[in-house]
Amino acid sequence: MITLNNIGKAYNGKIVVDIAACNIAEGELVGLVGNNGAGKTTLFRLLLDLVRADRGEVLSKGVNVAGNENWKQFTAAYLDEGFLITYLTPEEYFYFIGKLHNRTKADVDETLKSLETFFDGAILQNGKYIRDLSKGNQFKVGIASCLIQNPQLLILDEPFANLDPSSQMRLIKMLRELNEQKRITILISSHDLNHITDICKRILLMEKGKIINDLPVSADTLTELENYFKV
Amino acid sequence: MQIFMAFIIVYLLATAIVLGFSVSTIINKAFPNQDPEKVFCGFILYYFLFDMLFRFLWQELPTLSIQPYLAQNIQRKQLTRFLNIRSLFTFLNLLPILLFIPFAVSSIFQTDGSAAAIAFIICIISLTCFNHFTILFIKRKTIINGWWLVAFFVTIALCMAGDYFNVFSVSAISSTVFLHILKTPLLCIIPIALAFFSVVNNTRFLKQNLYLEELSSASAKKESANYTWLNRFGIYGELIGLDLKLILRNKRPRSAALMSVALLFYGFLFYKPETIEQGQYGVLLLGATFVTGIFIITYGQFLFAWHGNFFDGLMAGNFTLQQYIKSRFLLFAGVGTITFMLVSFYGFMSWKILIIQLAAYLYNTGFNTVLSIYFATRSYKGLDLSKSASFNYQGTGAAQWIYGLVFMLFGAIVYLPFALLFNAWAGVIAIGLFGLVNILLQDWWVQILANQLMQRKHKILEGFREK
Repeated sequence: MITLNNIGKAYNGKIVVDIAACNIAEGELVGLVGNNGAGKTTLFRLLLDLVRADRGEVLSKGVNVAGNENWKQFTAAYLDEGFLITYLTPEEYFYFIGKLHNRTKADVDETLKSLETFFDGAILQNGKYIRDLSKGNQFKVGIASCLIQNPQLLILDEPFANLDPSSQMRLIKMLRELNEQKRITILISSHDLNHITDICKRILLMEKGKIINDLPVSADTLTELENYFKV
Repeated sequence: MQIFMAFIIVYLLATAIVLGFSVSTIINKAFPNQDPEKVFCGFILYYFLFDMLFRFLWQELPTLSIQPYLAQNIQRKQLTRFLNIRSLFTFLNLLPILLFIPFAVSSIFQTDGSAAAIAFIICIISLTCFNHFTILFIKRKTIINGWWLVAFFVTIALCMAGDYFNVFSVSAISSTVFLHILKTPLLCIIPIALAFFSVVNNTRFLKQNLYLEELSSASAKKESANYTWLNRFGIYGELIGLDLKLILRNKRPRSAALMSVALLFYGFLFYKPETIEQGQYGVLLLGATFVTGIFIITYGQFLFAWHGNFFDGLMAGNFTLQQYIKSRFLLFAGVGTITFMLVSFYGFMSWKILIIQLAAYLYNTGFNTVLSIYFATRSYKGLDLSKSASFNYQGTGAAQWIYGLVFMLFGAIVYLPFALLFNAWAGVIAIGLFGLVNILLQDWWVQILANQLMQRKHKILEGFREK
């Protein structure tokens, strides 16, 4: 699905991403962990061609994402509020995203219905613009907009950070189902080691822009990671 | 850009001083049989009337993101005082002083004595002060309620119209008032009172509204809107719908749009009966380009920046950059066409204006759109829509005029060779045809501009993220 070839990015001489090679196969559920400044978000932005790489390339389905726009059709991502059009109501935003992917209103409604418990009554028909929602609810809108797109590749940056515990559990369940039933390739980052070892089958540990460890998840992975992050 | 502005300002100030000292000689020459003092006094209120208009467009509101200070140990009184005093440092306040005081010194002092001269100077300073704070107040009001903008322009327009159609004479009123003051210097208390009132009023308003940011956000229930008539344009319609909602639901773009509407009346400044009779088509064309292109100028100068808050999402969204660029063209074309239809009422003044506006409309839709989008791919500064506009009036200052000037300059390059070689109508036709050709070439432009955006989109994104 995704191949990173010798990709590098530096800001003012400080290296943020520096990855010699990495391959993510179709249908994988991969977690990205690392302290702040490890380069997780920048790596995600590189995948979406939102940041220009200093060297190397990102191949999505074998095609370089820079200078090509085909990946947009099968990639859904939510990194931060910069993806939300905050002066729309959630409904307007969902239908807008749906339209961009040629999904009918009925299609969108169906997806939204399946998200009813996840929304917990705080998103739809609330008479609020997205900008008036709490940060956690904004995140839910972002995640939902990704699901509306029916993607083959889903990228979420720290999706658990702003959610309440129940929503975190529901999200874990949803992501697992999407991955197992629809074979969607999923990439998420998180600081929550429990969650990430719980759902991911493979974990990439990043430090100063490099992937310093590429672990298949086993019973020992959590302890291993906890040892790494111990101060 | 800043250097350019500084040059203009220094030039204006120098002219003002020279003018101020030579005004009595000029008046003597122009109106040989009249008392220069009377003529000059007749001119003062005119000046302050236009000053109001200019201030409205040029004077920037003093901005201060008030929130961090509210929690600190600073009294609200001090905050408002700081805002008021800082706002005073603008060249618009220097101008009347440089223009009128030399006259007071050189002329009034000699004929009416020192008391009259001092009273005169006090009057000028008070009126400047009055204009200054009244405009600050009105500008702040317009941000909260767009009708203030309309009311302001209507009032100014009524004053001018009343004078124009001889209902009353601004100059007669002005000379009566000021000659009285020169006779009885104590009367200068009245302008002082006016100035004082405007300061107090403005301060009171500021104090009351220091909490404004919190007050405005929570309120009515927000409804979803669906512009079905846009559906037939597919993805372009969706993107244009975003802009319409952007304008309707955010204060800053809304005031920009309202400003465009108000500026439609600028036609009256350009299309004067004398100008039409004398066949000064260059001036008419300039006016027509401005009036028909006003939306491109006001909205277009922040074309991508309006989307700054969600540009990441847009650039990762499922549409091509070509489609994005094309949607900009269509937005301009749509609004431009509506503007064109609205301003055809100027056609009542002369059929010539209709034709000139048609040419200008084609030129704007064909070519100014290209310029606007090109500039957008080169501006890396985002706007924060979520910031309330109440202490923020960026976007309606001098920069807009510079931007407009560049547009006009390109027009002149097309117009002048034909106008000078053949005649003015040839120039007008050249402008229209030039626009038309560019409209036909639009898909080619879309391709070029999309490439430009592709090249610089990372830089734009980076700039927009910083804010």
